[in-house]
Amino acid sequence: MTRKVVLYALAIGFALYLVVPFYWIVNMSFMHEVDAASVPPHFLPNNPTLANYLGFVNPSTKQALVGSNAVGDTPYALVNSMVVALSTALVNLVLGTFAAYSFSRIRFRGSQVLLIVYLLTRMVPGIAIIIPFYLVMRTLDLLDTYGALILSYTTFALPITIWILKDYFRTVPRELEDAARVDRCGWFSMMWKVFLPISAPGLVAAAIFSFMTAWNEFMFALFMTSSISSKTIPVIAANFATDVETQVTLMAAAGVLAVVPPLVLVLICQRLIVQGMAAGSVKG
Amino acid sequence: MTLTAPDIEKPRTETAHRPRRGMGDTARAYLLNAPAMIVIGLLVAYPIGYSFWLSLHRYNLKLPALERFVWFQNYISLIGDPAFLSSLRVTVAFVVVVLVLTVVLGTALALVLNETFLGRGVLRSLVLLPWAMPGVVNGLMWRTIFDAKTGALNGLLLQLGLIDSYQAWLTSPTGAFFITAFAQVWNTLPFTVIILLAGLSTIPSEQYDAAKVDRAGVVQRFTQVTLPWLLHPLLIVLILETMNAFRAFDTIYVLTGGGPGDATNVIAVLNVRTVLTYTDFGLGSAYSWVITIVTLVISIGYISTLYQRGRIEV
Repeated sequence: MTRKVVLYALAIGFALYLVVPFYWIVNMSFMHEVDAASVPPHFLPNNPTLANYLGFVNPSTKQALVGSNAVGDTPYALVNSMVVALSTALVNLVLGTFAAYSFSRIRFRGSQVLLIVYLLTRMVPGIAIIIPFYLVMRTLDLLDTYGALILSYTTFALPITIWILKDYFRTVPRELEDAARVDRCGWFSMMWKVFLPISAPGLVAAAIFSFMTAWNEFMFALFMTSSISSKTIPVIAANFATDVETQVTLMAAAGVLAVVPPLVLVLICQRLIVQGMAAGSVKG
Repeated sequence: MTLTAPDIEKPRTETAHRPRRGMGDTARAYLLNAPAMIVIGLLVAYPIGYSFWLSLHRYNLKLPALERFVWFQNYISLIGDPAFLSSLRVTVAFVVVVLVLTVVLGTALALVLNETFLGRGVLRSLVLLPWAMPGVVNGLMWRTIFDAKTGALNGLLLQLGLIDSYQAWLTSPTGAFFITAFAQVWNTLPFTVIILLAGLSTIPSEQYDAAKVDRAGVVQRFTQVTLPWLLHPLLIVLILETMNAFRAFDTIYVLTGGGPGDATNVIAVLNVRTVLTYTDFGLGSAYSWVITIVTLVISIGYISTLYQRGRIEV
């Protein structure tokens, strides 16, 4: 009995710990600036407004002054982030599938070393490669384009993609491939028609990891982007925070907008993520 | 992802009836790996080498005339560099605080989620919330909460009568330090919980039944059964979170910008400032290489420990 009470108390405590901070910025994002600054604070918006969100589409003069154009730039930044994150996920799946297939099906010399090397590249902190990366992108004239971001995020996500996919691919029964081969199916059409559809949970898990890596990344985006033609949402969101004249309600709204896409994705695909990861990944 | 499952199916050698294709398996495998190897080689291996080369130079974008090869002068200068030494102290303290909080909270949350109770599914979904939050937004969020004028914490504590007036939490060095550590923990906790939960799920229930027969109490069951099984996942958590905390950047950059003074100026923030604000690429590269060497030593130690114990499946 006491055990149950303690359990529920802990569960509720943790639920509050996880939700309340996020609830606070959602709450703020629906407030007028005056209410947000009131003492005592409103834990529910007493006079809810969409003004902060509408400001991103059609900023008032006052809103437009916040965070060096951050308000007007927010919708473009969301589009940039979406393009970059989806492209990163796609490039990762293609490159990762080839590599992971070889680890799951072919026994070859150096396979273990190669897998460890992939993993080690993930251990290299981004800051260590950012300067040369910047100089290379400057030489290639890719600064302030999607290309520089997609390339850098691909290198971050690729090792993890390969590890997730190789574990998942090993769970696909070999007989299916043999059957396809008997039907005189080529390797590519076997992959496309048989192998990849069965591997969907693993592919989705890997795609979400790459998407989130790209969506959340900030340091490289800060270095590689300079205008709204490629600035991503974390860069714009940071402008709200570092601006002296910032409006806390607008900042909250921008924060909420930046969380929604990855959050929706994670919640929708929750089961597939668990299934994809459970194939071998983090079993202790 | 990585790490173990010792009994997972090994890839079989090529089956006998498979038609030969005039190309060896090894060649075929490397052909399949070529795109990934090229991308990683060009975009990680080459920049790392280049970064080391830069760290041996005096190279400031603002002072191009002074550019020259200086051997290890940048590294030697770190020994007497007060900014570097102070950020090293801050970083180590930050890593320790983050690790302790992560392990304690993560273990508790994983243990709760491993029990059956009404609403467990909801709590499991809620755990994903911090995971989906970009570090920058995490920083923004905690700023609004700890804000000196409009913050929720001030309002709550005042209403509860715990404080007499609004406090400027983020302007005291100690306050700012613990708040950044706390914010970092909130953001990275889900990953820890997922790893520990996976570890808990491998404990055979007979172990608990046996403990029950022996009339072991809650504490004994935890120390005798749960903890030994959790040691390995905890090791993974420790290493991953050490590396994460060692290079923590975005949350801190937004929350405190390294201030007040140098109180939260961890090495990654110092590094970015050296490069972006002072455009000192030579010294910046030397800072980066120190971070790289530390994280690589930790990760190589970690991977080889797991590998020797047969706990890594590749």
